[in-house]
Amino acid sequence: MTRAFIGCACVTAIATLLAGPPSVQAQQGEPIKIGAVVALTGPGAGLGQPERNGMLLAEKVINEKGGIKGRPIKILIEDDGSKPDNAKSKAERLIFDEKVLVLLGPSLTASTGAVSAITNAEGMAELACTGLGPKIELTYKTLYHLLPPQVLNARAMLEYTTKVLKAKKLGVLHDTGYGQVVMNSLNGLTGEYGVEFVSVEKFEVGATDTSAQAAKVRAADPEVLFIIATSPVPFRNAREVRITQPIVSAIGSSSYDYVRGMGEYADDIVFPEFVVGEDPAPHQTDFVKRYQQEYNALPKNYEAAGWDAVHIAAKAIETAGPNATRAEIAKAMRGSYSGTLASYNFAADDMTGIELSSYVYSKLVKGRFTRLPFAAK
Amino acid sequence: MTITLLLQSILAGLTNGFVYGLIGLGIAIVFRGARIINAMQGDFALLGSVVAYVSLTRFHLPMLPAFLVGVIAGGVLGFLVERFLIRPTEERAGTEDSYLLVTLGGAFAASAAVLLYFGRDSYVLSGVGGDSSINVFDAAIRVHAVWLIIISSLVVTGLKLFYSYTRLGQAMLAASIDVNGSLTIGINVPLMRTLTFVAGGLMGGLAGVLVAPLINIHYEMGLLLTLKGFAAAILGGLTSPLGAVFGGVTLGLVESLAVVAVSSGYKDVIAMAILILIMIVMPQGLLGRRGRRGG
Repeated sequence: MTRAFIGCACVTAIATLLAGPPSVQAQQGEPIKIGAVVALTGPGAGLGQPERNGMLLAEKVINEKGGIKGRPIKILIEDDGSKPDNAKSKAERLIFDEKVLVLLGPSLTASTGAVSAITNAEGMAELACTGLGPKIELTYKTLYHLLPPQVLNARAMLEYTTKVLKAKKLGVLHDTGYGQVVMNSLNGLTGEYGVEFVSVEKFEVGATDTSAQAAKVRAADPEVLFIIATSPVPFRNAREVRITQPIVSAIGSSSYDYVRGMGEYADDIVFPEFVVGEDPAPHQTDFVKRYQQEYNALPKNYEAAGWDAVHIAAKAIETAGPNATRAEIAKAMRGSYSGTLASYNFAADDMTGIELSSYVYSKLVKGRFTRLPFAAK
Repeated sequence: MTITLLLQSILAGLTNGFVYGLIGLGIAIVFRGARIINAMQGDFALLGSVVAYVSLTRFHLPMLPAFLVGVIAGGVLGFLVERFLIRPTEERAGTEDSYLLVTLGGAFAASAAVLLYFGRDSYVLSGVGGDSSINVFDAAIRVHAVWLIIISSLVVTGLKLFYSYTRLGQAMLAASIDVNGSLTIGINVPLMRTLTFVAGGLMGGLAGVLVAPLINIHYEMGLLLTLKGFAAAILGGLTSPLGAVFGGVTLGLVESLAVVAVSSGYKDVIAMAILILIMIVMPQGLLGRRGRRGG
């Protein structure tokens, strides 16, 4: 008996040693599935691809640390091609076939609208990589947003313009897509900030030339020019027609792709955003460093949004328990979270809770983003 | 409206107009020589600009040889399109719709190929004179844009002389007008068609290297340019290379003047309304030939 007992103990000890460290052993459990619908192709790919990179990095880091209570997470990513109907069908597959616990994305407002009707009906959490969209979204109690509403982006632009540049007469060049949405918000804030738009010119999304519009804005002689577009073209055209005033843009234009497209005109442009990879805030340093090691590139805002999305989902699942229902996980998410991109409060009315204080201001200096000392309050 | 603003809008309109006209020129060459509407013309430009960009940045060729390589690449693509898309369609008794569809398919494929190999980023192709510009009474026009206008004008003149005074040019025209008659007098009609597409491709490549420094190279550039070029060619007269450039300039000027005189929000409405009016009054285009009436 004693010899048998000693023999069993030896076998157990040897087996334990051979099995490896506890975290590896613990990840033998079934993966926890988290779904993601992002725009990897189409016009929204400039948002979706960085979001995907951030999500995959977060998945890797979380699993390296042992997953959620010993179980690894698995992010199932689908491409909606920047189309709402595709987003809906991909979301349905993830929700009903793959039975994911949380849905991340989409990348575009129209796609979020299509998907959130489903997640709302299922009572499951959706972490959209968009700001608050149409008013109906306020009725969806499990839809959370990782990016600020456009009115906050507009405020952030006006904060810098009025408090640092001390400008009152503003010119605007904007596209009819993203630019129009931000412009609508800007129009509602003119009284509060005491500014006047002396010239507002628009152009279609994907326009190859905006010189005529830029010339018209120049003729109005504004003190500062707002350019709000998902393209480098208006930034080039503005300088080509000799607009020398400072340019303030929006987060949607803050992209290394656009900076490359601006050529030598990527200079003296201010962006209210959240992540300046070249000079990250202290709480962003770890993320920036890991991202650089993984992808050999600097991250920006949408990468950080993807990273935060996975971490927020993982935390909610951990709080509610991996075997919790989707509704319980959604409920666990409804609170405050200090992310890499921003500080969130998903219990707030706009289901985002981002405040002006989360913004970081950057300035393009000869093609390189530099962090400005200004902080909006 | 100030004089400076008016001048700036005219300069912007001329620049854009010649961009549209260059693409329209290629469409007109192909239609004139083969009676086919080539939906890939903008993609000839895309390929030309991509090859020029790669030659400049990866192989470090000087600007002129890199641009020449881009132009030749357009010609090679034109040859391949005729050989592998147009000729098989013709052998299967393709109709006008078939040619349009097959070139449209080719356009989507070309765009997807650029997306696959170069990604969705925009690339900046250096232009003549870099980003420097010329001051015209406080209005600005890029040095490269001036060269674009000059070269386009020379090309149009050269084409006019080619089709009017050279045996090859006249043979290409004859082969498109009357196939049987051309065969009877010994013209190699299949060769003329191939040369037509090569000429269209060369023109597309030239358009690409001249236009890309102004608008950035992007995988969606091809189809966008084809649409504008098509409008220019239709407006100017589909069989007239000079007409295509004239149509392009008209379109560019109407667009930019609509922005400064009325509103940027109504630019497309005004421009298209004027163009529709022109087409109603002159359905053959501004410089196209009238159809024969009666017997």
